[in-house]
Amino acid sequence: MKKSQLLLSAGLALLVLLTGCERPPTDTVQHGYRGTGMVQVYNPRTMELKEEENTIPPSLPALPGDGPKASQVYKNVKVLGNLSVNEFTRLMLSMTSWVAPAEGCAYCHNPANFAEDVKYTKVVARRMIEMTRHINADWKVHVAETGVTCYTCHRGNPVPNNIWHKEEEQAKGADFIGDRAGQNLAANSVVGTSLPSDPFTPFLLGELDIRVNGTTALPNGNRHSIKQAEWTYGLMTHMSSALGVNCTYCHNTQSFSNWNGNPPQRSTAWYGIRMARDLNKDYMEPLASVFPEHRLGPTGDAPKANCATCHQGAYKPLFGQSMLKDHPQLAGPGTGLDKTTLAKK
Amino acid sequence: MQYQNIFTTVQAVGPTHHGVELGHGNSPRTGEPYIEYWLGRIGNAQLGPIYLGGLGIASLMCGLIAFVTIGLNMLASVNWNPIQFVRQLFWLALEPPAPGYGLGIPPMNQGGWWLFTGFFLTVSLLLWWARMYRRARELGLGTHIPWAFAAAIWLYLVLGLFRPILMGSWGEAVPFGIFPHLDWTAAFSLRYGNLFYNPFHALSIVFLYGSVLLFAMHGATILAVGRYGGEREIEQIVDRGTASERAALFWRWTMGFNATMESIHRWAWWFAVLCPLAGGIGILLTGTVVDNWYLWAVKHGVAPPYPAVFPEVVDPATLSGVKP
Amino acid sequence: MSMLSFEKKYRVRGGTLVGGDLFDFWIGPFYVGFFGVTTIFFAFLGTALILWGASQGPTWNLWQISIAPPDLSYGLRMAPLLEGGLWQLITVCALGAFVSWMMREVEICRKLGMGYHVPFAFSVAIFAYFTLNVIRPVLLGAWGHGFPYGIFSHLDWVSNVGYQYLHFHYNPAHMLAVSFFFATTFALSLHGGLVLSATNPPVGEVVKTPEHEDTFFRDSIGYSIGTLGIHRLGLFLALAAVLFSALCIVISGPFWTRGWPEWWGWWLNMPIWK
Repeated sequence: MKKSQLLLSAGLALLVLLTGCERPPTDTVQHGYRGTGMVQVYNPRTMELKEEENTIPPSLPALPGDGPKASQVYKNVKVLGNLSVNEFTRLMLSMTSWVAPAEGCAYCHNPANFAEDVKYTKVVARRMIEMTRHINADWKVHVAETGVTCYTCHRGNPVPNNIWHKEEEQAKGADFIGDRAGQNLAANSVVGTSLPSDPFTPFLLGELDIRVNGTTALPNGNRHSIKQAEWTYGLMTHMSSALGVNCTYCHNTQSFSNWNGNPPQRSTAWYGIRMARDLNKDYMEPLASVFPEHRLGPTGDAPKANCATCHQGAYKPLFGQSMLKDHPQLAGPGTGLDKTTLAKK
Repeated sequence: MQYQNIFTTVQAVGPTHHGVELGHGNSPRTGEPYIEYWLGRIGNAQLGPIYLGGLGIASLMCGLIAFVTIGLNMLASVNWNPIQFVRQLFWLALEPPAPGYGLGIPPMNQGGWWLFTGFFLTVSLLLWWARMYRRARELGLGTHIPWAFAAAIWLYLVLGLFRPILMGSWGEAVPFGIFPHLDWTAAFSLRYGNLFYNPFHALSIVFLYGSVLLFAMHGATILAVGRYGGEREIEQIVDRGTASERAALFWRWTMGFNATMESIHRWAWWFAVLCPLAGGIGILLTGTVVDNWYLWAVKHGVAPPYPAVFPEVVDPATLSGVKP
Repeated sequence: MSMLSFEKKYRVRGGTLVGGDLFDFWIGPFYVGFFGVTTIFFAFLGTALILWGASQGPTWNLWQISIAPPDLSYGLRMAPLLEGGLWQLITVCALGAFVSWMMREVEICRKLGMGYHVPFAFSVAIFAYFTLNVIRPVLLGAWGHGFPYGIFSHLDWVSNVGYQYLHFHYNPAHMLAVSFFFATTFALSLHGGLVLSATNPPVGEVVKTPEHEDTFFRDSIGYSIGTLGIHRLGLFLALAAVLFSALCIVISGPFWTRGWPEWWGWWLNMPIWK
């Protein structure tokens, strides 16, 4: 009867597990030498849904670039003055459909006076255009020629679905017990683990060490702690979930710190982290004084970007489809800084 | 189908046994023993009596203090909300101090409670160890169980006391919490270059899997000779009967060598004890003597190389001037 | 030399499943039997293939030798020998050898008038291997999902497959399996310790009885499972550990593609407390 008792308990466990699981068949893609276990695993039914969600909207037909410049015809054009009026109008219409399709032009503009900066959305949008151009011109090392447009993050929403704010200080009921040290709750930001729930402030805004491994077998001054490794792990779980990939997409976990023989995606990701820092520090954070209170976080900070903001569950945003080629006005100019300098910031 | 000796079919019920008589200095036992039929299908049907002496009571009290402290900290961490406490129970924890506090005593809410709990849990375990030792001695038994327990306590102390002291930081120790202690385990391996390459970790796993193998082998063997009274192991040890003989010959004919009815229990004891013993050594050497186990393995010619399948990728941090 | 003092009377004819008297003999202490012959065949062939594979590889270092399965692109087909075909042949030999060993144990049990518990338990272990290198690869559509045959390379496989699910510790079946592994080891230390403590008392004491064993555990924790029960418990814990291990890996990939922490969403998002 031990056999049937075993079978019974195994069967019950199976039932409980399977009610919460996915059904076969599943797809697998090898991404490393055979037998290493470096494999991406996909649920084809989920992928179908994802592909639907990532169809790009059709672009408005291109308009000629000749004729009077926008700065000559309109007032208070600070960033897009070089565009022809046709190009300018086309971009405005595109932006409306990408960011505020339901709200329309009045989301940013005063309908009685389009030039006025009375709405915060217009000020933010202006800075966002500069940011988009900066990404496309100066961060090719991450976005290549595919580039980004407003749609990449906004996808038809005034506020992108995946942004982050700094976390509120933990509510101290009695203030002498129960401190969580920033972790130990079931947090969506770290995909349901109990790892530190805000790895973005230290790593995608600040420049704290992500690397915790030593470079020698024997101790040689590396004082990183296990807790710091948990913070890095938290960031990495976010990155995995944001891109819809697992750790072996970039790493051979035989040695996480080793770069030899690693997939090239790891280098792209490294630059992605630096890009996120750059954008959050120079474009998003300074907008805190522009955003109204209901757009700020619980500590009063501006909304910021992490990997999920652009990627939204795809290994490349919009699965690598480029909208930029139809909107060269967003391709530049940049700040003129090279990638090495930018990555240093 | 033949009887397979898995569940007892006929339970002989007699007067309950109140335990071998104890000598001077022992308390009377607690609880009136009673018979539970469904337990009797698997093993003995009798529950109780239990011995509750000074050591046991003190151990339980210290243990209760530790348990309740953990629970209250967890409850406080979800703002005293009992529903969230149940919902997030597996994620909640009592966290050790931040590394910045070194080995000092931090404020209660910044790791002080963790130290407090660790202290009471350790005292509780040591008192329980003393209880095990005392009970064995009072019954005239050898002390093999308490010494096996000592191996487990070794691992516990390495994780929570010895290694943090050697590393100069309470923050290195393990949090009290279901998922959080698993996060700690993963982070430990991540930080120290992949623990699979730690030879004592490998040895400890050998003994862990080996223990499971051995108990499957021994449990199955005894059940298989149950018809000859194989489970009467003490009797078989001092006066070898056909059960022991068949059990030994099964293995001799299968793999060329065998244990005896006594020596199999020595194999069992050592495999089980060497698991936490070797494991504790492996933990203790990590961070103190070795900082990166993969690189250590490379140094000692043990790490396997893999053919390159990707174009060469350069660590961007090594490009001149770029900050890692 | 190869026979124990009491062994002769047990060396009788009979109990064989296949071959009758043909292979019913011993070589030294080893019983042969038909399945002893098949074991030798598969074990020898498999080992020879491993050695040949090592000779075609970059090293003879025992820790670094590795025979890898085929690329996923070969699906469930046979791959060229040096592109993973060798791995496939070795896997067949391994299963042949394991099953032969198990059947040989059955023949030995029959000859000794014992229950079949040992070969039954062994077949659970074989099932776990079969799950890892046959069932799961078939469910995923490629032999390449099996683990490589190499001391450290198979650990790299474990590490990478674990991280395919971001944090494998959160796999609920894995949690159960690990708990059963630790519980088995714990119970083994207690059982080994208890028997030894009764038969090896301190100087001046006599050997003790099962009543002493029971009393020790009733005094300590209020219950003693007894001499027969502990063996049932030990076997159950050990087999449960192995079965839940097989379960935890077969669901990873075929029945779950995301990180394992995410699986717990069903609990966190229950309507009663969402």
